[in-house]
Amino acid sequence: MMTAAVATPAKTAIRTEGLSVSYNGKPALKSVNIEFYENTVTALIGPSGCGKSTLLRALNRMNDRIPDAVTQGKVFVNGINIYDRGVNLTRLRREVGMVFQKPNPFPMTIFENVALGPRLHYGLRGRALEEVVEDALRKAALWDEVKDDLKKKSGLALSGGQQQRLCIARMLAVQPRILLMDEPCSALDPISTQKIEELIVELGKQYTVIVVTHNLQQAARISQYTGFLMYGELIEWGETRQLFERPQRQETEDYIRGRFG
Amino acid sequence: MWRIRLLDHLVQAATWMAGGLLILTIVAVFYYLLAESRYAFTRKFPYGFRIALQSPDSEYRDEVSMDPTASLLATHREGTDELDDAEDATRLPPHEELASMQSLVTATAQTSDPAQLRADELFRDCMRAPKTAEQGERFLLLAFAMPSYTGKTMELAWEPDVAFEPEFAPYEFRLRLLRAPKGISIEPIEINLNQQPRGRITLPVWKAHSQQEWLNGYLFELEARPTTTTTVATLQQFFKPDWAPTILYARFGMLPLLLSTLLITLLAITFATPLGLAAAVYLSEQASPRIREWFKPILEILAAIPTVVLGYFGVVLVAPALQKLFGEALQLTSGRGLLATALMMTVFILPTVISLSEDALRAVPNSLREGAEALGLTLAECVRLILLPAAKSGLIAAVLLAIARVMGETMIVWILSGGTPVMPDFSSPSAALATLVKPTRAIPDTIAIEMGNVEFESPHYGHLFLLGLTLFVLTLFINLLGFAYRKRAQLQF
Ligand SMILES: Nc1ncnc2c1ncn2[C@@H]1O[C@H](COP(=O)(O)OP(=O)(O)O)[C@@H](O)[C@H]1O
Ligand SMILES: [Mg+2]
Repeated sequence: MMTAAVATPAKTAIRTEGLSVSYNGKPALKSVNIEFYENTVTALIGPSGCGKSTLLRALNRMNDRIPDAVTQGKVFVNGINIYDRGVNLTRLRREVGMVFQKPNPFPMTIFENVALGPRLHYGLRGRALEEVVEDALRKAALWDEVKDDLKKKSGLALSGGQQQRLCIARMLAVQPRILLMDEPCSALDPISTQKIEELIVELGKQYTVIVVTHNLQQAARISQYTGFLMYGELIEWGETRQLFERPQRQETEDYIRGRFG
Repeated sequence: MWRIRLLDHLVQAATWMAGGLLILTIVAVFYYLLAESRYAFTRKFPYGFRIALQSPDSEYRDEVSMDPTASLLATHREGTDELDDAEDATRLPPHEELASMQSLVTATAQTSDPAQLRADELFRDCMRAPKTAEQGERFLLLAFAMPSYTGKTMELAWEPDVAFEPEFAPYEFRLRLLRAPKGISIEPIEINLNQQPRGRITLPVWKAHSQQEWLNGYLFELEARPTTTTTVATLQQFFKPDWAPTILYARFGMLPLLLSTLLITLLAITFATPLGLAAAVYLSEQASPRIREWFKPILEILAAIPTVVLGYFGVVLVAPALQKLFGEALQLTSGRGLLATALMMTVFILPTVISLSEDALRAVPNSLREGAEALGLTLAECVRLILLPAAKSGLIAAVLLAIARVMGETMIVWILSGGTPVMPDFSSPSAALATLVKPTRAIPDTIAIEMGNVEFESPHYGHLFLLGLTLFVLTLFINLLGFAYRKRAQLQF
């Protein structure tokens, strides 16, 4: 079994300050303060409905899509509060990529799926674009499986696990530094899950990776840091090994020992 | 338990019955149209030529049909046979009387056998019953001068009867000289009237000195030789560019009607598609739920406006506006025409296009929108690069269904087309403008206008059903294509 080594904490990539989100006035996230480090995988765990996705989506302002959602507090990415007025959303999302629970490749060829972002954001064409696409697919460990029908096969024609890696490649192609993943394996079979987990560990060496998971073993396998949420509150967060072996709070202990939900 | 099962069975039976009824209706309509259009194939193909013997300085040189001495050789009198003709037609008067009336004479007989010619059985005209495309026909024509004629030559001149055009009859027409009078040597004459529908040939003067001598004059034969079968001829004529079913030499060329229907549809769809698509994108991607709640019922109300109301709305508002705009340049008496029709068709179809396009866009899973947004795409980029391509099948289906509805819509064209069948003409900008703005006539309004006055089970009646069949096949095909695209859209995600 692979175990992620704990690196010495690097620089902070994201920091939240009193981050609260409510839907229709119903609080889903209550004054969360947490930090995510560069070149580190952080897992977010907690029972279903505790606000993991809400927290993740607050980090690249995806909650803006939901008309009923109200966000308060601050999120600093590279020292800038992304909830400040005048923040360029396109730029934010170039910086902070996201992968969803259910793979959502666009209904176009594999190549087009990956090329869309860099073409739009960086105006890449021709050879340069193909290089970026290949690089992204290699990083997502998908290149060898799709290189032969890159421009023929639709992204929808891939298997579930391949689709998820395609979405990861699509995200990597716009060169973000922070990767948000919301239960990226929950819709996949065990073999695909293992591949994605290996990939996350690999990506953790170069990126700030934040993974939501409801699978404790998975969190333990892939992350160096873990945050535990319950009822919209961040109960505690810290180094994964420490959180799992010596939790500070009773709720954490109960949850990890399976005495909860 | 068993009660619920019974209910299920009933519901299922009702579903099957409804589906069966639907298919049965389509089959029945198709069969009915097909069955009734067989009367189109009972049609006859009338024709007629006017032929006169003229002096070189005749005042009717260029209008043979106005020449009072001309003979009409024709097959256009429905319901007559050769015997009736002999009774009805005017016999030529005796020699002296005729000589006092005219100096150059053409005469014809009921017989087509030269040996049967009799001097007291000659007529000015010969009209026979119309023929099917398979039936040939021969007319004999005697030409001679009276003793009083002083000219050095005389000319046999011919032209098609008024409103007859040789290309609308499936025959090869030949005018040939069977026999020249004794003592006159002349080259053989045989003229193809299809290639040369009007013309004249010079003949040496030959005079008849008594009634008996008439028979020794120039003897010509007009032969109509079939070129095809009635079925083929009917279909060939159906695709010709002239619709005039009630004139003597009836024409059943529906090309102007078909092109008009297609043009109206093309224009209406060209207007409605961008507008409808824009509105659909706005509604499904941008509008707040509250605006959408308002807009949807409004759309439904718009879609429920009776087309007769739309038609009169067009008459009262759109047509006068168009007349004001183009009236002087084109000498319009009213603004009714292709453009007015197409504009109201746009209004008619817009709610459907918006509604179906919005459905198509909403069928695109939200996860794609989230994916696009997470990738940093703006709304416009997301619509253009992701949503429209993803919804393509559904959008094509929407447009196809709209096309089928516009093609079949009758009331609006009936009220607004202006009712004049014309071939669209785009050879010059001014011709194109006239085509667009001036009155037209499409397929549905033609059926609606003419079905009321047509003789039951006549060829005209059959042709109206043939028109209906054309429209039905067209719209059915487009509808099926639309359903195929819809199916594809449903299977996509
Ligand atoms: N779009 C939404 N509208 C209203 N309530 C929502 C919405 N999304 C999530 N919620 C609520 O917010 C809470 C947290 O949800 P979520 O962040 O998805 O939890 P998790 O991902 O941990 O399962 C839940 O109670 C959920 O019902
Ligand atoms: Mg979740």
